[in-house]
Amino acid sequence: MLNPPSGSRPLGEDPQDRESIRGPISAIESILRHPRRVLYQLRQPGAGHLIIALLLIAIVCSVVYGVVVGTFSGGTQLWAAPVKIAAGLVISAVICLPSLYIFSCLSGTQARLIEVVGMIAGLLALMTVLLIGFAPVAWVFSQSTESLAAMGALHLTFWCIATYFGVRFLSEGFAHLSGKPAGLRVWVTIFLLVMIQMSTALRPIVGKADTILPVEKKFFLKHWFEQLDKA
Amino acid sequence: MRVSGLSLSAEVPELLRGSVTEGRAAIEQPDSRRWLLYLAIILGGAGLFGAALGSWRAPVQALYTAIKLPLILLVISLGNGLLNAMLAPLLGINIGLRQSLLAVLMSFTIAAAILGAFSPLLYFLIWNTPPLVAGASTNTGAHSLVLLCETAMIAFAGIAANVRLLQLLRELSGSASAAKKVLFAWLAGNLLLGSQLAWVMRPFVGSPGLPVQFLREHPFEGSFYEAIFRAVRNLLFP
Repeated sequence: MLNPPSGSRPLGEDPQDRESIRGPISAIESILRHPRRVLYQLRQPGAGHLIIALLLIAIVCSVVYGVVVGTFSGGTQLWAAPVKIAAGLVISAVICLPSLYIFSCLSGTQARLIEVVGMIAGLLALMTVLLIGFAPVAWVFSQSTESLAAMGALHLTFWCIATYFGVRFLSEGFAHLSGKPAGLRVWVTIFLLVMIQMSTALRPIVGKADTILPVEKKFFLKHWFEQLDKA
Repeated sequence: MRVSGLSLSAEVPELLRGSVTEGRAAIEQPDSRRWLLYLAIILGGAGLFGAALGSWRAPVQALYTAIKLPLILLVISLGNGLLNAMLAPLLGINIGLRQSLLAVLMSFTIAAAILGAFSPLLYFLIWNTPPLVAGASTNTGAHSLVLLCETAMIAFAGIAANVRLLQLLRELSGSASAAKKVLFAWLAGNLLLGSQLAWVMRPFVGSPGLPVQFLREHPFEGSFYEAIFRAVRNLLFP
């Protein structure tokens, strides 16, 4: 039952890798239990359907988690938080996609653009599916505390854990494409910074404000320190 | 107790001995009767321990805590079921939602059986301690002893249950390292949710200055971690 170390065998060598992925449920199961299957299918003709399924999973799961985030403040945030989280995630991925493709090309990997898109879609899907797993815990805390800083820190912790597994999937994917691109770590850092800054650019996501989007531009560190001062 | 052919006297020792082949069979070929029995052990064992815990304050508090303690174990299992099922394959053990849920429930069953076995001891200890009611003479030493014993019993039950769970995970994965990772991740999640649920469902022992209640007036007010943070802050910066 132990998952074999990734990258040990070429994709498709194991018959399980070649099993088709039909629909979002099968995609969720595959990305959690057989990530090699997802990576193999992304390299096959007609991978577009799988990519769409992965993106749909990411959007639906981030909307569901967003509703849980919105329950902390209630009111407008019940719809604003899901929309902002889903949109922020997709926009961050779109912003970072070209740089990942360039990094992979520069390091000599054979990844096609559609494979890179698929791997980012897989990263987002895995991240958001994991966030759904954290949703009951997040809900219990959001009903219990009034501390915006504590809830923000909790959501950030869950997001970090989910991102770790998402990035691990991406890294495994590149390991099968004749080595990891040299800039993958740099790209991951950029991607993390973009997502964190996106959460500040789309604030408030956890708390409340007079306007749905911020009127003042801020760097995320400044925003965090201000929130901690208020706490 | 007997549930259609399965007996408590046969199942509990088997669980406590940590027979990994039995444990593996129980979660890979689930038998609803066995799981009903496990559920009964959780309700009974944790319920009895809860009753002993609450009896220090009042008989009604004993009833309330007898209901709340097993409820917390079941809500943790269900609340973190999905997360645990996702983390297991990601950390190297390819088991599904049902199997991970059953593995966690099995470990809670072991803990509940141990707590149930300790409940007469705890009750006896509390019976010998000045009552926790308003106006009664306070004996700080005796109260501290009760609190320490309660904590030691719960810690022992928790450790024993997790040692058995680790053995089961090792059997399922064939890898000690994957089993440790999954156990650590599950424990972290269960601790996070469990501590907050315990906070929401307080009181368990009760307080002489407060009325006996099933839940405090504002159960969702504040969090366990904020209380800890405030306590540490008050301690360091009085």
